Amino acid sequence: MNALATEEEIQTATVGMGQIVAARKPARLSSVLGSCVGVAIYHPRLGVGGLAHVVLPHANGRSDNPGKFADTAVPALIQELSKLGVPLAGLVAKIAGGACMFQMRGPLQIGDANIEAVRQALAKANIRLAAQHVGGTAGRRIVFDCADGTLRVEIAGRHVETV
Amino acid sequence: MNSLSTQSEKVQVLHELLAAATHEASASMSRWTNGLINLSLDEVRELPLDEVVADLDLDDRLLTMVVLSLEGLLGGAMILTFDEQNARLLAAALLNQPVNQQPEWTDLEKSALTETGNILACAYMSALSRLIGEDLIPTAPYFLQDYGASVLQQALLPQAMSGDQILVCRTGFHRHGENLNWRVLFVPNHNLREAMEKAIRTAV
Repeated sequence: MNALATEEEIQTATVGMGQIVAARKPARLSSVLGSCVGVAIYHPRLGVGGLAHVVLPHANGRSDNPGKFADTAVPALIQELSKLGVPLAGLVAKIAGGACMFQMRGPLQIGDANIEAVRQALAKANIRLAAQHVGGTAGRRIVFDCADGTLRVEIAGRHVETV
Repeated sequence: MNSLSTQSEKVQVLHELLAAATHEASASMSRWTNGLINLSLDEVRELPLDEVVADLDLDDRLLTMVVLSLEGLLGGAMILTFDEQNARLLAAALLNQPVNQQPEWTDLEKSALTETGNILACAYMSALSRLIGEDLIPTAPYFLQDYGASVLQQALLPQAMSGDQILVCRTGFHRHGENLNWRVLFVPNHNLREAMEKAIRTAV
């Protein structure tokens, strides 16, 4: 279910699997990612941004949970931002996640497909991908700051980067 | 053939099926740990996808895990999770040596934990195989330290592909009646879940 968050309601909101949250500064949005991809879209000048927690690449016609799929999450997040008065022009994206958490091969390895589907959806929406922290074999904890558009990425127990 | 009319009835009978598998896994675990540890199936229920990670209280805590998957049409994943302290204690008890105070895990410690996962999963899958009349073969286990939520996400994918409701089986571990901070998460894929429900319908 999508949620529209305001700064009065949240400081740091957790965005769960398949969820979309949009917020104004100084709110921060957080997710823990494995094979899922976190898609942050924001307007640098307005200090408004949102985070989608994408689980799978393609909806294949399903419309019941748009935040779950890359190809429906990006347009749905743009729509949430437009409700906050953000125009499409000037939007910028940052993405993280898409790891291959399990060593074995097989259908559970979906991280790469998620990354590619998110890139395609952003390109289709004419949104510039400003930074990415994707792939690998470890989980990530991300915190997106609506105020300045920074995406803090913590690799499980190892190091922190800001993109 | 009788039908199970409501989702709650299905979950209730799945509980009975999984309790039987947990019972065998508990017996194997007890033998492996010289009677120290046993298991109980505490809960089987369905949850919305976006609530599972929070409900299982995994979030962004770093956990030590042993992961196995089921390959083939009847697939899924089994994840044994511990906090660092409990994982170290188990490894030390199994190896009959003092608790390792070094940050790095030795190969021997990892092996003790993965073998624990292997014994648990083989007993569980063996019982489940008999109950549903289909072979379930777990892959070799491997040791992993990461965010519990990150690993669970990937295990949930097979169910997430077919719907937004996730079947969660919550299993507790006990030492001399005291609850331990270990968990085993079993996530069947859609086909395996259907096979379990079919076995139940046949038995009703």
